[in-house]
Amino acid sequence: MGESKWIPTVCYQCKAECAILARVEDGVVREVKGNPLARGKMCVKGMAGITTLYSQERLKRPMKRVGERGEGKFVDIGWDEAMDIMEKKLRELMKNGEAHKFTYSMFPHSTTDPKWRFVNAVGGFISTGLPHCDSAKIMAHLHTFGCFPNHHIAPMYYTVPRGGIMILSGRHPFGCLDDASVPKHILDAKERGAKLIVIDPIFRTEAAKADWWIPIKPGGDAALFLGMASHMLKKGLYNKAFCDKWVREGDMDKLAAFLKDKTPEAMSKICEVPAKDIIKLAEMCAAAPSVSVDAFKSIMYGNGMDWGHAWSIFLVITGNLDNPGGQPLPEIAPMAAVAPVPPAPNLKELGYHRTGPNRDKFNHYNFILEPTWYAAQAVKEGNLKVFFASECNPALSEMGSGEWRKAMTMKDKKGNYLLELFVVTEILPSETMKWADLVLPDQTNFERWELLYMPWWYNFGHTAAVCQPVVKPIGESRHANRVMIDLGKRMFPEFFAFKDDVEYYDIELSGVGMSMQKVLDGGALWSPGTVGFRKYEDAGKFNTASGKIELEWRMYKDIGQEWPSPELPLEFRRDADKYPFILVNFRTIFLNNTGAWSQNNAQLRDSVSGLDANPLLLNPIDAARLGIADGATVTVESSTGKVRIPVMFTEKIKPGCAGIIHGFGQTMGKVAARGKWIGDNELIADAGSHLDEQDLRGGEAHVSTRVRIAK
Amino acid sequence: MKQLSIMVDLDRCIGCKTCIVACRNHYGLVDHEKSMPGSMSHYLRVESECTGSYPNLAEDYWVVMCQHCKKPPCIKACEAGAIHKDVQTGIVLIDKNKCVGAKKCIEKCPYAVIQFDAPGKFAHKCTLCYDRVIHGQVPVCVEVCLADALSFGEKEILLMQADAAGKKVVKKKSTQSILYVKS
Repeated sequence: MGESKWIPTVCYQCKAECAILARVEDGVVREVKGNPLARGKMCVKGMAGITTLYSQERLKRPMKRVGERGEGKFVDIGWDEAMDIMEKKLRELMKNGEAHKFTYSMFPHSTTDPKWRFVNAVGGFISTGLPHCDSAKIMAHLHTFGCFPNHHIAPMYYTVPRGGIMILSGRHPFGCLDDASVPKHILDAKERGAKLIVIDPIFRTEAAKADWWIPIKPGGDAALFLGMASHMLKKGLYNKAFCDKWVREGDMDKLAAFLKDKTPEAMSKICEVPAKDIIKLAEMCAAAPSVSVDAFKSIMYGNGMDWGHAWSIFLVITGNLDNPGGQPLPEIAPMAAVAPVPPAPNLKELGYHRTGPNRDKFNHYNFILEPTWYAAQAVKEGNLKVFFASECNPALSEMGSGEWRKAMTMKDKKGNYLLELFVVTEILPSETMKWADLVLPDQTNFERWELLYMPWWYNFGHTAAVCQPVVKPIGESRHANRVMIDLGKRMFPEFFAFKDDVEYYDIELSGVGMSMQKVLDGGALWSPGTVGFRKYEDAGKFNTASGKIELEWRMYKDIGQEWPSPELPLEFRRDADKYPFILVNFRTIFLNNTGAWSQNNAQLRDSVSGLDANPLLLNPIDAARLGIADGATVTVESSTGKVRIPVMFTEKIKPGCAGIIHGFGQTMGKVAARGKWIGDNELIADAGSHLDEQDLRGGEAHVSTRVRIAK
Repeated sequence: MKQLSIMVDLDRCIGCKTCIVACRNHYGLVDHEKSMPGSMSHYLRVESECTGSYPNLAEDYWVVMCQHCKKPPCIKACEAGAIHKDVQTGIVLIDKNKCVGAKKCIEKCPYAVIQFDAPGKFAHKCTLCYDRVIHGQVPVCVEVCLADALSFGEKEILLMQADAAGKKVVKKKSTQSILYVKS
């Protein structure tokens, strides 16, 4: 045996960025584990990262499409040719005044990402999932108490006191998307005497550990919490001292008037949680020293803004803001700018954001970013001509997979693709790459440098995570960030004058007195000191226009949305006769959503160490009604898509719901392509042409889908 | 008698399978390049049991590894004499060099935890990380457990700890050297 040592770096099998140690022996990664200097945990996805690193299916050289899009036929080319293709097309676009028709779909950690810098230098758009799943909660909390506690800023479970209540409302923290230490922290809190309440139409591992599982009708969260709030106000069970001091004058009276008819009995009819249980939970929360609420899937539904508003109201009237065991209000730690900074394009003027039928109505809303997630619609409308994608798999994740595929292959009268150039960077074969013109071999977290920075974002508060290469890269793979820096140096030397990626990250970190090496020395994670509690007391105000908590959203008075609607998402309320089941698509710890690197990871798709099937989950009550046998293959159909899939009976799903695990359906790669499994996005309506109210009330919401099931 | 043990706390195990992959990595059980799902050896597996009917459900998760039996049937089954129970630790060990690949131990194991290496023609299984524990380290699965559901130590001490924490041994799961406990 040669030299063997444990080297600190960061996991990137999902977006949680847990600090890890990699044991490298003779230049090969042998094992990995959580870094005890920084929370010390690593989940199964991370453990299986070595299989991603060394899989024989790793993409090793740049490839160029031959044949038509969708055929998945490629030939190897050199990096120079790949760079030339990208540069030529982008220069052409810029020359024609169409730079804004370039979009990069990625998962950046902030505007400090070098890929984002490149997009800005071109004058293109960023397309990101950042606000996609967060917008409703972020905007709700911003409007109400002026802070950014998005869904990745999970409650700090290690601060929950004895008797505190932890509510998970459509949330799967044991899936480890915040940090791999979160499951331990929740279980530790339980051992201290905290209570775990799980509100979910599906009984999962969290429900198995919960003191109380409350099955709910999907999208009913706003109704449930408004029912609780109504009961609390009526019975005087709210935190009066907190509200008297911090809520804007007059808002509590207006809230009481609004909640008058939102009784537990009335709300029970919407959310299907018995009124006595709404009352019981409200009284438990009122008596507890702390209550935390965490939600993820539920905040993505078509009524996300209403649910976010109801959630905010609940936190306020129970006084659970920035207290131990309550909702943390994170702060911002700004990195240094790498000057000169390329200006961002004027998105308001140029944007094709929200290309739904009710586009004009979106002018009512303010969003933190201008995401351009609906690529299919943008291509159809001629607003997207060059598309780059990294660390995402839009063929399986864009709403409405069928329309996305159609858009990728649409041609003009001359027979040219409407989308003129499509480039993807991938570690392992992905579904998306079938439609790409250029496929660039990306690197795993074991091969690359990266500063992962999110001022208020991930990992319940960590600000910076540093990934360092621990082994030599496989083949000719290059990290996407480095590719965009190299392309930037060719096209915009003034904005890419720094030496390399490491120097770029070091300049950024100097803004907080850190460097890549210093962060690594500390265990690869960094955040600025104590989180502190009740910071609004020190400041004497909340960060809102009035300095107080603003329960009434006056900015939406013109559209009658000053207060949250308790109704289910519109998509769940209509066509119930035609499509009687609500689709509940959900994730597990074993797969990083549609990420190709977990779908094609043999250990994560092994039934012993991962998950190898996503059958349709049905309650036996429903199955009996439909006359379907366990294991039979059925047709599941939504208003826009249809799939054939085997059924599995389970008591663990609420009747009226049909469950499908997200993250399957890939046909590229030997591991992923096995089995008769499907991608749930085949059933989800195309965002560009179908979604209407969902976007209005949901912020950047999606995935509210009804289906019917037939033999 | 000395008996080292792992205690599996059913109140904490979430069935996440982290231990399975960490163990595989440590012992090099996976050919990362070529292995396909369904073909990889594993020294642990996760089991679960859901009881009740909607909406009154309960579910437990636990890991199953070699139980390092008090009177191991695998030792009796092995005609080559390749298996023994270590006196110092109570760990049941297979001597790869003595194993003739008869698979008798696999047939007789009541917990179905013994693996077979087809190319090398030998049986192998969880050693309770013998090479680690005799140097004072804990087994890999215990070190990496996401939920801190696993503890390692002398069986008698673990039993005492379980008692102090108000947990009972779930004898239905095993009456051998691995302890399954629950409040």
